[in-house]
Amino acid sequence: MQAITTFFWEHPLTVITFSPLLGALILLFLNKRDVSLIKSLAFIVSLIDFFLSLHLYFYFQSDTYEMQFLEKIPWIPDWGISYQVGIDGISLFLVLLTTFLTPLAILSSWTAITKKIKEYMVFMLLLETGMLGVFIALDLFLFYVFWEAMLIPMYFLIGIWGGARRIYAAIKFFVYTMAGSLLMLVGILVLYYLNYQTTGEYTFDLLELMKTIPPPAIQTWLFLAFAISFAIKVPMFPFHTWLPDAHVEAPTAGSVILAGILLKMGTYGFLRFCLPLFPDATIEFIPLISILAIVGIIYGALVSMVQQDVKSLVAYSSVSHLGFVMLGIFALNTQGLEGGILQMINHGLSTGALFLIVGMLYERRHTRMIDDFGGLSRQMPIFATFFMLVTLSSIGLPGLNGFVGEFLVLVGTFQANKLYATFAATGIILAAVYMLWMYQRVMFGQITKPENQRLVDLNLREVIILVPITLFIIWIGVYPKPLFQKMERSVQHLISQVNRPRIIKVEREVFLVSGPNKMVYWTNVPRIKE
Amino acid sequence: MIPISHYLTLGAIIFIIGSIGVLTRKNAIIILMSIELMLNGVNITLVAFSYHLADLTGQIFAIFVVAVAAGEAAVGLAIIIALFRCRATVNVDEIQLLKW
Amino acid sequence: MINLSLLTPEIIVLITALIVLILDLLPWRGRKVLLATVGVLGTVGALLITMGQWDLREEAFYGMVAIDNFSVYFKALFLIICTLTILLSINYITRGGIDLGEYYSLVLLATFGYMFMASGTDLITIFLALEILSLAVYILAGFMRHSPKSNESAFKYFLLGAFSSAFLLYGIANIYGVVGNTNLKDIAQYLSQEAALKNPLFLAGMGLLLVGFGFKVAIVPFHMWTPDVYEGSPTTVTAFMAVGTKAASFAAFLRVFFYTLEPLKGQWVPVLWLLAAVTIIFGNTVAIYQKNIKRMLAYSAIAHAGYILVAMVAGNDLGSSSILYYLLVYSLMNLGAFGVVIIVEKKEEENLTISDYRGLAYKHPMLSAAMSLFLLSLAGIPPTGGFVGKFYIFSAAVSGGYVGLAIIGVLGSAIALYYYLRIIVYMYMYDPEKEFLDGPVPFFSAAALVITAIGTILLGITPARILELAHYSISYLGH
Repeated sequence: MQAITTFFWEHPLTVITFSPLLGALILLFLNKRDVSLIKSLAFIVSLIDFFLSLHLYFYFQSDTYEMQFLEKIPWIPDWGISYQVGIDGISLFLVLLTTFLTPLAILSSWTAITKKIKEYMVFMLLLETGMLGVFIALDLFLFYVFWEAMLIPMYFLIGIWGGARRIYAAIKFFVYTMAGSLLMLVGILVLYYLNYQTTGEYTFDLLELMKTIPPPAIQTWLFLAFAISFAIKVPMFPFHTWLPDAHVEAPTAGSVILAGILLKMGTYGFLRFCLPLFPDATIEFIPLISILAIVGIIYGALVSMVQQDVKSLVAYSSVSHLGFVMLGIFALNTQGLEGGILQMINHGLSTGALFLIVGMLYERRHTRMIDDFGGLSRQMPIFATFFMLVTLSSIGLPGLNGFVGEFLVLVGTFQANKLYATFAATGIILAAVYMLWMYQRVMFGQITKPENQRLVDLNLREVIILVPITLFIIWIGVYPKPLFQKMERSVQHLISQVNRPRIIKVEREVFLVSGPNKMVYWTNVPRIKE
Repeated sequence: MIPISHYLTLGAIIFIIGSIGVLTRKNAIIILMSIELMLNGVNITLVAFSYHLADLTGQIFAIFVVAVAAGEAAVGLAIIIALFRCRATVNVDEIQLLKW
Repeated sequence: MINLSLLTPEIIVLITALIVLILDLLPWRGRKVLLATVGVLGTVGALLITMGQWDLREEAFYGMVAIDNFSVYFKALFLIICTLTILLSINYITRGGIDLGEYYSLVLLATFGYMFMASGTDLITIFLALEILSLAVYILAGFMRHSPKSNESAFKYFLLGAFSSAFLLYGIANIYGVVGNTNLKDIAQYLSQEAALKNPLFLAGMGLLLVGFGFKVAIVPFHMWTPDVYEGSPTTVTAFMAVGTKAASFAAFLRVFFYTLEPLKGQWVPVLWLLAAVTIIFGNTVAIYQKNIKRMLAYSAIAHAGYILVAMVAGNDLGSSSILYYLLVYSLMNLGAFGVVIIVEKKEEENLTISDYRGLAYKHPMLSAAMSLFLLSLAGIPPTGGFVGKFYIFSAAVSGGYVGLAIIGVLGSAIALYYYLRIIVYMYMYDPEKEFLDGPVPFFSAAALVITAIGTILLGITPARILELAHYSISYLGH
């Protein structure tokens, strides 16, 4: 026992990341007929993992931007690949979000999933490991491994337990994201050899790679290679087409994880890789990405408005919300970035909750069409309360979490570019329209369908699922300070990385053109100590 | 004295006749014969070079090629016979169970 | 110097092949398993001795055969392939009614040919090795004598194989005429003169060699035989030649082009660049439309040859050691995938279309899990060996400055994902409609699957040791 505790204190991130994997392995050896044992074990494992991850929150030092809980073990030393993990103020909350949402997602599938429960739980736990790995990896190779490996369990979750068009959705999801990430693979390799050219050292260590900046001309290409892969994941307009399919077809828990965590990997990728590694290209791409983000905000909102299916409405609203996150990130100032990061968490909470709520409705009525409902508030008062709260959070009502994030994003954007902020603000109004309209059509009015008369209100398990989320929604809305405190240093460091002084002109061998050509080539001076 | 270029040209011509035979003929046996022709074109080239360079390697190689050709012919004919038993044809156009 | 003792592994394989032939005459019903056992023992023995030859750096038969790390690595690979093939075959050939002793004997003889492909340092040796293995595999392809498809595949393989050998041979003859010798060392020495690089006869010879090797490793446009032959042959033979013949041909291809003809890089690299791009795109695209799983794996094998060409184009040490690593991973994952096909296949060509795999996961979870692993590895998804292999190859391409080719390669992998996933879709996302196997999974086949599966995972998670081996294997092959 002593040894285990010591190990945890020394390697908290590894333990947190791989304990779901361990749980999944144990599940494999259980008899598939012990359904309740399997479900409970999966839930307990993920819950324990959540409590373990609280350790990170309490022992996180908010007075430094350095990576914390750092672990580094050589993996393939010949290539400079190591198992290197660590978190800073940006990834801390995403790790917590992951460990927080997974047990809820598992709990939400308690009765919704009826077939092949063992496999389902195994994939859920594998997925958790994969997602955590993405957020903690500080080695590009390791990151890529988790980034892709994580697709496999999600693919199975959609493909086996999804709706009618699940196979189409699963393959589309997989091929789309994979095509993007393969380009990133080439980008990673180019970066790796560029770094070797400048420093003479082979390494995939992100912290090392950040110290040298590639020449601007190449940065543009590298930025594109990384950004397309992340943009598909976010998803940014026009790469969003996989999202509605995947969301609508995925089982409830799959949608929760997809919206709550997977989409954040895209935005996280921008924060962790694109911005610090390619600062010049980042600045170069601000207009393009901001405009795409605004198009996404407005387009997502407009399309949400006309949806008949509650789930696809929520799915399209994600496109809109993530547009805000991207806009905030590319404002490149403290407010914008902090707002963007907070909005990532907010979206995880409120959209996750919305998908859970839709799932609860679907379990009762086996339909998600808005027209099939109406007047539910009288039958299900508790449900109506939660639904209202989450809807308002998603709209961004002051006092709830959504407001803080969106407000900061808009403030940040306004400082950076007033026009962008104006357009983005319309998105908030549209959000209020589609969400409230949907809520009204589903919950108020007369009960037109006889089936809706018989609906029962939430049971204890469902209340237990929703209570923690709503608590967080209110907490962040009222008192977000601890979160900002923890992310502040990291965000400021990120900004300084993008704006760092650099670039002298020297003549060198050019590497990217086949064959050694002499050409004017840009390189950087060593980073100035902040 | 016949210059080496004559032998080489002869070898090349025989090789080309053989390959055209492989590509155009329909009868499996004739295709097999065309392949033998190609190998013999190579043999002529090898021996010509060997004589020209006053080096024995080429002739040894030619003997190896003859031996291999014999092996190929044996296996090839066996395969063709097996095929004929199954399908009662040696016309390559009719042998088309497998295609995409 | 003849140094016959250096060839002990080869001789053991040869003798085992002959012993198997003789033992088949025993009037004993259970002798088939005995034959397989003897075959496995022989190859494992040869494998152990081969491993003992690591770091030896010797020559035999007056420089016609080299015992260097390169050949040791490949020989070990071929012996592993041979062992796994025998394990997979035991049950299959009994089911298919072709349990003749010659089968194992021919597999061993082909392996004997493979081994010389890797160690031959003279064009004569390479040619003879190629013929030895080809003749054995021609017969194996047609081993199901009563199946028209098997006959047809043997026939096509034979005609095109012999045709391509003739090209190879003509190329060798031309090179011999220019250099005056067939030894790779002498050729390399000849090429060290500046004037030699422009000799048209030599270049023609090189082109013909390229065609010959191109046929054997099945790259577009020399791939036409591959799908037909892979589909028609007995599945165990398909597996054997998909990995063995390909790896052996690449071994010789690599030694001849990468090291001996290195000074002529300017001539053959652009050609291979183009061939690699075309092969990857064509193989992956056509594979999407296949209904027969063997045919699909054939096109996938074509595409994989394309990836290996990418590494050849890279033209640096990283490139050639990545080929060594990739071929090992490729052999394990492909043998594994074919192994599942072999187990699931029934007599009379049943269970061979992709839709036949409908619901396999709910009848045979372990088998489908293994198949998924192999397919994901073939698609190059971490944490499998296939990913590390592809990563290595693309890394070599990027370090050589061929970013464009690397991008084509990864886009090809994205296409490939679609058809590999399709099988997983059928296995997991539909409900089963029938029973798949007549009995439990046969023991020996299961053993082979376990070995390949563990290998595929380990090569993905802890590749460092094998990467080092692959790296040292090329260290003595000087330029």
